[in-house]
Amino acid sequence: MSDGGVLILAEARQGELREVSLELVSAAREVAAGVGGRVAVAVIDQQAERFANAVGADGVSEVLTVTSPTEHFEAHVWQRALEGLIERERPAIVLAGHTIDSLGFVPAVAARLGLGFAADVTAVWWAQGPRARRGAYGDKLHAELDFPGKSCTLLTVRPGIFAAAPAGSGAAAARAVEIDLDGTARTEHVEFRDVAIGDVDITKAEFLLSIGRGIEDKDNIPRFEHLAERFGATLSVSRPLVDAGWMPNARQVGQSGKTVKPRVYLALGISGAVQHLAGMRSADTIIAVNTDPEAPIFGVAHFGAVADLFEVADELERALG
Amino acid sequence: MKFVVCVKQVASLDEEFELLEGGGVDSDFVEWELNEWDTFSLEAALALRESGEGEGGEVVAVTVGEQEAEEALLACLARGADRAVRVWDESLQGADPLAVARVLAAVVERESPDLVFCGVQSSDAVTGSTGTALAGYLDMARVAVVTALSYDAPSSTLTVDRELESGLVEVVRIGLPALLTIQTGINEPRYATLRAIKQAREKPLVTYGLEDVGLDAGAVGVAAGAHTIELQTPERGAGAQLLDGSPAEVAARIVEIVQERMSG
Amino acid sequence: MPGGGTLLQAAVKTRPVFWHLSVGLKIAWYALAVVSVLVFLYGVARPFYKWSRGRGGPWPPYPWRELPARLWRGLQSLLSHRTIARRDRLAGWAHRGIFYGWIVLFAGTVVLGFNTDFTKPVFGLDYFHGNFYLGYKEVLNVLGTVLIAGVLVMMFRRGVLRPRKLDYTRPDRAPGEVHLERRTYRVGDWAFISILLVIALTGFVLEGVRIAMSHPGYGGTQFGGWVVAQALSGVSSATLGGVRHGLWWFHGLLAIAFVASIPYTKAGHMITSYLSLSLRDPLAGKRLAVIPPERASAPAGYGQLQDFSPLHLLQIDACTKCGRCHEACPANATGRPLSPRDVVLELHEQSNVAIGGVLGGLMAGRLDGGGAQDDAVVGQDGVRTETVWSCMQCNACVEACPVGIEQAPIINQLRRRLVEEGELDPNVQSVLQTIHKSGNSFGERNRRRGRWTEELDFDVKDARREPVEVLWFVGDYASFDPRSQRVSRTLARLLDRAGVEFGILYDGERNSGNDVRRVGEEGLFEDLAEHNIAAISECEFQRIMTSDPHSLNTLRNEYPVLGADWQVLHHAELLLELILAGRLDVGGRLSYRTTYHDPCYLGRHNGVYEAPRQILRELGCTLLEMPRNRSNSFCCGAGGGRIWIPDEPGQERPAENRIREAVALQAVELFVVSCPKDVTMFEDAIKTSGNAERIELRELTELVEEALLPAEVAATT
Ligand SMILES: Cc1cc2nc3c(=O)[nH]c(=O)nc-3n(C[C@H](O)[C@H](O)[C@H](O)COP(=O)(O)OP(=O)(O)OC[C@H]3O[C@@H](n4cnc5c(N)ncnc54)[C@H](O)[C@@H]3O)c2cc1C
Ligand code: SF4
Ligand code: SF4
Repeated sequence: MSDGGVLILAEARQGELREVSLELVSAAREVAAGVGGRVAVAVIDQQAERFANAVGADGVSEVLTVTSPTEHFEAHVWQRALEGLIERERPAIVLAGHTIDSLGFVPAVAARLGLGFAADVTAVWWAQGPRARRGAYGDKLHAELDFPGKSCTLLTVRPGIFAAAPAGSGAAAARAVEIDLDGTARTEHVEFRDVAIGDVDITKAEFLLSIGRGIEDKDNIPRFEHLAERFGATLSVSRPLVDAGWMPNARQVGQSGKTVKPRVYLALGISGAVQHLAGMRSADTIIAVNTDPEAPIFGVAHFGAVADLFEVADELERALG
Repeated sequence: MKFVVCVKQVASLDEEFELLEGGGVDSDFVEWELNEWDTFSLEAALALRESGEGEGGEVVAVTVGEQEAEEALLACLARGADRAVRVWDESLQGADPLAVARVLAAVVERESPDLVFCGVQSSDAVTGSTGTALAGYLDMARVAVVTALSYDAPSSTLTVDRELESGLVEVVRIGLPALLTIQTGINEPRYATLRAIKQAREKPLVTYGLEDVGLDAGAVGVAAGAHTIELQTPERGAGAQLLDGSPAEVAARIVEIVQERMSG
Repeated sequence: MPGGGTLLQAAVKTRPVFWHLSVGLKIAWYALAVVSVLVFLYGVARPFYKWSRGRGGPWPPYPWRELPARLWRGLQSLLSHRTIARRDRLAGWAHRGIFYGWIVLFAGTVVLGFNTDFTKPVFGLDYFHGNFYLGYKEVLNVLGTVLIAGVLVMMFRRGVLRPRKLDYTRPDRAPGEVHLERRTYRVGDWAFISILLVIALTGFVLEGVRIAMSHPGYGGTQFGGWVVAQALSGVSSATLGGVRHGLWWFHGLLAIAFVASIPYTKAGHMITSYLSLSLRDPLAGKRLAVIPPERASAPAGYGQLQDFSPLHLLQIDACTKCGRCHEACPANATGRPLSPRDVVLELHEQSNVAIGGVLGGLMAGRLDGGGAQDDAVVGQDGVRTETVWSCMQCNACVEACPVGIEQAPIINQLRRRLVEEGELDPNVQSVLQTIHKSGNSFGERNRRRGRWTEELDFDVKDARREPVEVLWFVGDYASFDPRSQRVSRTLARLLDRAGVEFGILYDGERNSGNDVRRVGEEGLFEDLAEHNIAAISECEFQRIMTSDPHSLNTLRNEYPVLGADWQVLHHAELLLELILAGRLDVGGRLSYRTTYHDPCYLGRHNGVYEAPRQILRELGCTLLEMPRNRSNSFCCGAGGGRIWIPDEPGQERPAENRIREAVALQAVELFVVSCPKDVTMFEDAIKTSGNAERIELRELTELVEEALLPAEVAATT
């Protein structure tokens, strides 16, 4: 049985708290009332206390710190720590970010403890129990979920959906939770490496012309390089073009690429998968051209054209003289 | 070495699809194919087996899915997997990642492989959870979102690149047995010729029901993490203003918008 | 001496064969001759053994009972020199000289030997005197002269004219790599023609010496010998005797050594090329080979020499290095690392090395040891992967080869194996997957195949539902490519206007498989073909028409092997029929200056050259021919799956090369095509080659409609 309340799992990397931690505080507000109002934020880190103040945002009742034996994130340690937290604190709802680190351990916790579970949710609310919304068929549809028969539900929340609560805006007390984590690590950290170093810095560009798998063919790239040049734009791409080796890492927009915030983002032939949106949704103006009227990119675009990108590109060349 | 590769036959929706009464999608508008991420994870297993290190290993492809999912398994067999296993039960219709992982765990346990490969995610469900949940059930060491791997036979350890956000990569070492979820771009998946696909029909492909792997609908139902109430078409482009007209008109509008926003 | 006397003398004229030779030398001579023949026979027999070991096809390549007729037809082609003289008249005449000169001189020697060694000693019958002898001398003399003339022309050609096709530099090897220039070949060629020349010349000198010695002042018609005799008139008889003796041995030994060497050197083409020519397949490249059921589980295509069909093994030994395919190849012409000649020669070298030993190495012209029987033929030291993928499967090489070698089908077999081994361009790989999944190369849902008809103001019949006169197989490009869809609608309007009852298969149609097959994905081809054949067989129609030459080729030449039996037309043929029958009144109303591009798969593959030209004339257009026209047409670069393979940036594309050829024509206005891929390729090339101001592209159909419009206006006003 649960003691109710929401448990939020904050996330830090290389000594920095990640934004999603504070977004989760906002997400928790949507359901806190339904589960008794208590919102605890847990931080797992070698020096967990250092984030205690920051995560204690307005609306947070308590900050829990768990000291990890490893310097960096380690999936098995984190798994054990979260299991321990849930066993001790018995929350009704657990929220974590749908991040790369989470991908390595959160589902395992849900599996082992038999929790209610959904990943990458974009909305949570309470209706006699937790409810969540997430994408289906590659985000072309939405699915509404409930979690019958589960006393605890673990959700990973899509980053960038909820506004981040201001850091340190509350006055929650911090409490250390002792969990024996020695010997739980099963991987060994070797190093961090930056793979997206390249000729251009797309994060500095004011105007990005971004192309995706819709361009079909490596042969077509020069055409868009040319168009970008004509247009005074910097060329960026979605991941498949990098995976195929057609463009360097440094040009990739998205979760595993660069996060950009240009004045104008013109997306040609990009479907708008969540990991892509993660990198560009906060651009000032998003214009999308796609033949598929159901493409998720239209969900974030300010202007959208259901059209063939090649025809539009040809006309753009013409219009630019 | 023995490898299990968990794969999924994924659905992609036509540009103009229709929803059925009761929430499903009219199957006329759905196309099926082997999940993109799984083509990379299968290739990773095959490549490791063919490299000196994993030589002579067996590659077993496993899926949880209906009859049509055999296509995905055939695609794996055609590329070089030795055997394939499909598990299905009507109760698995619409199963969530935890339920699927529970079933996979039962199969993997029987196979007791040295390495389990999964794709990071499937392109239709996009939960990114099945592989890690499977590792959870099996209490197996794992690394998620792997973009490079090399195996050192004497120490039975893998050194892998774990892809993080924003172009960052963490290099970690992990001992066997282990489970990896594989990211796109890690390799170049090979092509399976139609002849190979036809010949793949000669390779062993077994179909199990739940009881064959020591489970029943009840156990899987308990494992399930969520229940879908309904599917909806999202309101699209609530904010997006539609540019219509001929390509020339669209282009003219785009130029206009860009000029306005860039100067403002 | 005047002609009257010769007849009288004829009765006594003869020629002492072993003039003053001791018995020992005579025996030595015959021993050498026998050895020479044995070496020759061994050399001839051995490749037969090698060829017969090819597992990729039957041995003999055709049933025994068909062989006599084939050999006879081969002989006819050989005697007429039809294939050799084609596209190179000079080489044709020179080769005729050498060929006939050599045959007759060789026969003459045999006839003489037969007399001295058989009929005379055995039967006491000596036919070597009198009129026979004189006639013999005349013929030999004339043909000896012809031979020498032929050899001299060839030497002039090689030494002075130096046509590009005789440059053995390989485009598939970079400067500095081994085998780049193939010096051994050049040396071998020169040795070959030089030896021929020396043998012929010493023959004449010998004749001259003999005449000078025994008939001083003789002025007969033995022209060559007489000339030499005159030159030697002052020399003493003793000296002449010595010279004659020495020369006799020189000439004789050279000749028998030459005979012995024939199968081992360039001269071997006398045998292999004749066989290859006789066994040529008129449908080579048009209809590719199916995988025989007994090879169904073996790896597809050619990976090692032992996978080759015996016929192809024979062919790679038959190349004369004439370079005609090298010259005709559009890949080579646009700087790609491919020359069909070099593919054949590379395989030939490997095949010779596979024989083993120093001899094999020598014959291969390389002693690096590579290329044993079970080594892969494709690789960095063999035929390179990029070479195999550069081919457009345009068949220009097959068409050009004077000895019937099937370069394009061989390349196709190499591709089959590469596809199976996953050595294919990622783009091609994804297109093949797309075709497998959706039935078309555009990745569109096949349900949309008939969408292009929606903009028409009449309904296009569904041939699966109602009987039609003409079943239109539309093909991927004409169905899905927006530009070609316009052409498809034009064609539909024309047919409708002419009152043709036609229909299409809508989503019952799949990619025809022509390009898929040429890429080397045979299994997918089989799949597509089976599907289309089944779909078409359900329909009721009289004829099939297609607006896509690639589909035409496959429907016409390849589906029949799989059980189809239909009459298949190209739209140009049908349109011409309608125009001539007065069902489309075009009445010579247009006056454009046009040039017409023969699509590879319509022209070379299917011999449709005239219908489109005649339509242009009916329309009133002036037709200017590009230098490379009809069977020598230049591929647009889209064939053989190349349309799916990215070109290296910066290289001239074949289509651009072609447009440059077209704009060089005087005041040409329109570039007329009759293939949807051509529309795409050339419309782009006109822009990229910077000729948008000078020439415009039109699909034939569009011109026909343009010619009709005034009629319509006239009729309604
Ligand atoms: C952990 C992880 C991290 C990831 N990180 C990133 C990342 O950083 N960045 C990223 O981009 N992806 C990332 N991805 C991959 C992501 O999930 C998608 O696979 C990817 O973004 C899809 O790229 P796309 O939109 O170009 O291709 P697709 O999804 O294939 O979309 C192509 C689109 O083009 C349209 N189209 C096709 N032809 C035309 C035409 N002629 N005219 C107009 N439109 C056309 C189609 O309708 C379609 O919508 C990541 C995935 C994972 C699991
Ligand atoms: S088929 Fe065409 S491209 Fe290929 S080798 Fe022959 S001539 Fe060259
Ligand atoms: S393959 Fe034929 S055309 Fe080409 S060089 Fe040899 S003989 Fe000549």
